Amino acid sequence: MVTIFINGEPHDAADPSRNLLSFIRFDAGLTGTKYGCGEGVCGACTVLVDGQPLRSCLSTVGAVAGGSLTTIEGLAPEGALHPVQQAFIDEQAMQCGYCIPGFIMTSVALLNREQSPDRAQIREALSQNMCRCGTYQRILRAFERAASPGDVTHA
Amino acid sequence: MPEDGTPEAGLHILGEGGLGFPAPQRTYARVAYGNTQPDAEKARWLTVRPDGSVVAYAGKVEYGQGIRTGLAIEVADELRVPLANVEVVLGDTARVPWDMGTFGSQSTARVGLQLRKAAATARQALLEMAADRLDLPAGDLRAEAGRISSSSDGNRAITYADLIGGASIVHDIDSDIALTPRAEFSVMGKTHTRIDAEARVTGRALYSQDIVVDGMLFGSVLRRPWRGAALQSVDTSIAERMPGVVQVVREDDLVAVLADTDEHAAAAMNLLQTQWGEPAPTASTIDLPEILLSSAHDPFVTQEAGSLEEGFTAASGVLEATYFVPYVSNAPMEPRAAVASWDGDRLTVWAGTQRPFGINTELAQRFGLEESQVRVIAPEIGGGFGSKSPYPVAHEASRLARIAGRPVRVAYTRAEDMIYATMRPAALFRIKSGFTADGRLVAWECHAYHAGDRPFLGRRGSDSPYDAAHVRVTTYTSDSPLSTGSYRSLGAAANHFAREVHIDEVAAAVGLDPVEFRLRNLSHPRFRRVLEHAADAHGWQPAAGASRRGQGIAIGVDVGSYIATAVQLDVGGREVRLDRVTAALDCGLVVNPEGARNQVEGSIVMGMGTALYEAIDFQDGRVLNAGFTRYRVPRSSDAPAIETLLVGDDDTPSTGAGEPGIVPIAAAISNAVFDRTGERQRELPIQRHLR
Repeated sequence: MVTIFINGEPHDAADPSRNLLSFIRFDAGLTGTKYGCGEGVCGACTVLVDGQPLRSCLSTVGAVAGGSLTTIEGLAPEGALHPVQQAFIDEQAMQCGYCIPGFIMTSVALLNREQSPDRAQIREALSQNMCRCGTYQRILRAFERAASPGDVTHA
Repeated sequence: MPEDGTPEAGLHILGEGGLGFPAPQRTYARVAYGNTQPDAEKARWLTVRPDGSVVAYAGKVEYGQGIRTGLAIEVADELRVPLANVEVVLGDTARVPWDMGTFGSQSTARVGLQLRKAAATARQALLEMAADRLDLPAGDLRAEAGRISSSSDGNRAITYADLIGGASIVHDIDSDIALTPRAEFSVMGKTHTRIDAEARVTGRALYSQDIVVDGMLFGSVLRRPWRGAALQSVDTSIAERMPGVVQVVREDDLVAVLADTDEHAAAAMNLLQTQWGEPAPTASTIDLPEILLSSAHDPFVTQEAGSLEEGFTAASGVLEATYFVPYVSNAPMEPRAAVASWDGDRLTVWAGTQRPFGINTELAQRFGLEESQVRVIAPEIGGGFGSKSPYPVAHEASRLARIAGRPVRVAYTRAEDMIYATMRPAALFRIKSGFTADGRLVAWECHAYHAGDRPFLGRRGSDSPYDAAHVRVTTYTSDSPLSTGSYRSLGAAANHFAREVHIDEVAAAVGLDPVEFRLRNLSHPRFRRVLEHAADAHGWQPAAGASRRGQGIAIGVDVGSYIATAVQLDVGGREVRLDRVTAALDCGLVVNPEGARNQVEGSIVMGMGTALYEAIDFQDGRVLNAGFTRYRVPRSSDAPAIETLLVGDDDTPSTGAGEPGIVPIAAAISNAVFDRTGERQRELPIQRHLR
């Protein structure tokens, strides 16, 4: 039996080898974290472990035992939005939206690491995630808006 | 509304369900879907609730095109209510009017118009009720922000909520009702945040992959290892003893493990002992062009004018070339998934399909049920781009749930989703053109060979828009080693690629700038307008032949919308760096400008993948590069800066914005690679052919 904390709540897992993404989605019931590829290349399953991004589809519950996870549901208190979430809304950075939780978690992780990343760092970080609807231009703008809310002039 | 047909309190607007499409067999013969009144061909399109808020119902589904917001905008404008007071219910066969399916960019054109009429009918009904209540002539009243007031005395007013009170009022859509003229639009044509945006950024939006119901088992289905593989034997004894396994099912062609978790189901599936018949060697990727040509049948002339013989005689120059596009995968981010649940002889299925009513009919037929005993709910859909019309996992989950007596979930893995879904047909084109020395096209002969058994895919967008007097375009159906299906714009993107590269080749042959050459041969004003806008905004620099700058352009038409796209790129080794794209779209009246731009941007990025690197490889019926580690799609580091100009005329009816963006982009990229390198790229994907 291992215990992990997801969005501050303790969750017990009987089997440490349980796939972390499946545990989050089906056992903890937090389906905002998505399955996209199962190979760690699309980023839809990205969660934060102690503030750092992790591809949950390639991990197990045991590998993060004792760790503190944040999923898209836990990014902001109930009823409020994280600045990155708000920026994605403001820039209309979504179509089907399936990839968006992963992009938001990757963005938050980068902002945790770098207060004002340059364009190359942003592109590098965000190119780890895939959006098949092709909203990249808007996602980049949303990131920049969240990173420097005062500097964004376009509507 | 309840099955006895008595609606709950509110103002309900009913109208024809099928919108001119043939209604499905049996649907309206009796109580069919919950939304439909008994023995009536009418469905409820709109309700103003007793609190004054509005619900619109549509059989379309939301799979990224923003239709929920687009429809809400139209309703809010006609009904004079704030956008925030409009809810749109989509894709639930128990709650919405029958619909053929969400494809062909018809949502705004047909359903949007129907909902505008429903909303205008509701507004008129409310005005008449207010005239009665306030004892004023209806002509003196105006509706605004959910209330009706006197134009002369603003103190005499009543809200929609007070007008309706607890009453249940039913009106039929007045199909001749005057719609709000565009000069009076207050919501349409302006930029709005999507009404479903917050659910998407918080993870609350539920997709079919996310549906979990009480007592649900996870199903893993045995898949054929190659196309046409025949199962000879299967030994389930080991799998049955694996942890968490509840049942191993074998029913006709369906073999599946049902377990308490997804991992237990998958682990047991791996331990099924299977024997398959020997694979017959069939074809592989390199055989495709030959297969497309040699197996071509059912020639169909889509366009004919004049006499080709006469045209080629009159021409001073003739150009012949062959073009090729491979199979590509739609590869939406959400792999298909379905959950099925039986309650006695009633079946409920959550399935992220573009055709909830079609799947409803299929399931009713499969199990011998009335259509009203089946309910298909299409929740949020994580992309599809045309390919989620067939939805086999809905059938598998329903069969397994019936056998197990418990709800069952079946979901494709990413690799399964790429292998067992349909692909955009591979196609080959032979084009011969005749032209004069001063740059006039006189003859155009095109033979288009599209793989697959659905000829309408290849016919879309095959006609030439240029002024040549002697034209014949013939499409053929060719054998397909892989299963083909719908893709954004069907075959139009492939047809446009061949045509617009060839046009560029003729321009170079006669020593004219590609924009100038096109303008000389295009009299259609909407084509001319988009081409001129795109070239201007892009900063097109006229040049005859390869200028080495890396600029390229192409035009297109799809679903009634006109588009021109200019690109700027660089080529380094075998990598093409697409820097900048400018698109001018004329889709008539624009309901939701940001939504339209977003769709064009997405189409450009998707089409860029098909132009540069996407191709499904196969051998003897096996797909060799399923999964995102082997099949490259564009990422943010690849994506260009995109500017989209909306240049349509507000008096022209709305046409689709979701598909036209993809039709010219591959040709524009190929033409720009020629402009940069001096070498023509007639085969996709281009990066495989760069040296």
